[in-house]
Amino acid sequence: MAVTEPLNETQVIANLGQTTDPSAQYYAAWWLGKMRSRHPKAIPLLLQTLKALEQQPVDPERRGVALNAIRALGKLKSPMALTPLCELLNSTDYSVREEAARSLGKLQDPAAVEGIRRLLQSGISDAGGEQSGSALLREPCEALIEALGDIGLSSAETLDTILPFVQHPRPLIRAAACRALLQLTGESSWGIQLTEMLNHPEALVRRGALLDLGATGWTSAGPAISAAAVEPSLKLVALRGLAEQSEDPEVLKAMDALI
Amino acid sequence: MAKADLTAAVARLEQATSTPELVQATRSLASLRDPDAAETLIKVLGFNNPAVASVASEGLIRLGRSIVPRLLVSMDARNYGARAWVVKVLATLHDPRGLDLLEHALKADIAPSVRRAATRGLAELEVNEEDTDSIRRCCESLLLAGRDDEWVVRYAAAFGLEQRLRNTTVPDSMVHQALTLLGQLASSSESVKVVRLRAQLALQLLNAP
Repeated sequence: MAVTEPLNETQVIANLGQTTDPSAQYYAAWWLGKMRSRHPKAIPLLLQTLKALEQQPVDPERRGVALNAIRALGKLKSPMALTPLCELLNSTDYSVREEAARSLGKLQDPAAVEGIRRLLQSGISDAGGEQSGSALLREPCEALIEALGDIGLSSAETLDTILPFVQHPRPLIRAAACRALLQLTGESSWGIQLTEMLNHPEALVRRGALLDLGATGWTSAGPAISAAAVEPSLKLVALRGLAEQSEDPEVLKAMDALI
Repeated sequence: MAKADLTAAVARLEQATSTPELVQATRSLASLRDPDAAETLIKVLGFNNPAVASVASEGLIRLGRSIVPRLLVSMDARNYGARAWVVKVLATLHDPRGLDLLEHALKADIAPSVRRAATRGLAELEVNEEDTDSIRRCCESLLLAGRDDEWVVRYAAAFGLEQRLRNTTVPDSMVHQALTLLGQLASSSESVKVVRLRAQLALQLLNAP
């Protein structure tokens, strides 16, 4: 068993509500998401912590709490988080835009599509270009593209926005684009392209492609996932994605073999 | 002489740097089927390279139960990836001497991958039908795994309880507890869908109501 003592939800809620100890708030925000808390105060308190992002300058500790709160709001899938998270897509802070996009992908509300698409519309050389003096791209393209795929609302505009990123110089961005296009169109050619990335010489790319395939639920990827040169624990995460979407007992058999 | 082959294979492994070279060198070392290669193969499990570790673990499994005593003293406290592979090899060999280590790994290891592999080991460990104490310990550990915080360990517990109930004569009280736990894992009180799916499959295969 894990070593952590079970924490009391009431205590966690109190920790998030106070403001003198940001590290207790940080942990509380994480905890509520991890435990899928249904406490009536959880969502309002998590939303409250986002206010710290509006201050100038932003307090770095309270920014950390807010980033954890954004992640938790995604996990809790509360509709109340939709508008605040969409507003955060306009933040000047790259990480805030990135986490907001990821959580909007989890909320799966089509109302978020336009705001996400707008950040990608300038294409691979602008949104997908590198920031000067940094390894970051100008926009958090991977998170944005994956969110469009996870929300699952297919339209000509969305497909046209994602398509150029299949040619992006970075393999993880290409993988995100293939993943989203597979989710949105169901066309196996995108799955085949992702499967080929399981042979990439870099372990990071293989892991990314593996998790992307799992997220699509495309069961044809099962044997390639099982055979990939990646840690068994990640293969199990990917196969879980296939199993939960397809409910195919063959996928469970493949998981049993990896335990 | 075989020992010259072993020395040469170990040297090749030490010189290898890229993953394809490491895989190749590990494969030739494993192909010697020499129990004295076990120590080096176990070391390879700690390289944090799944392609290489997978070849080494297959090689260790082929060496069979003679390597169990060495495996029992090979848990690296600082490398959970390596521990997961050692436990996996031990689990696959089904050797009853692994019971203490597997039981302890499931109870105390901080890494879910280690607890997961230990759960499988406890599900498939070879136990004599008369050895009711070992059967009870395996079952109690599997019941503990079913209440783990990590979904993958609970998944392994659903698989493991099914294996135990199908392949071992388990005391009635344990059967009852196992089926109750599988029922919980199959119900909406379990938050992870794939765990529910696996527990439902287990109940179906056990012909339980």
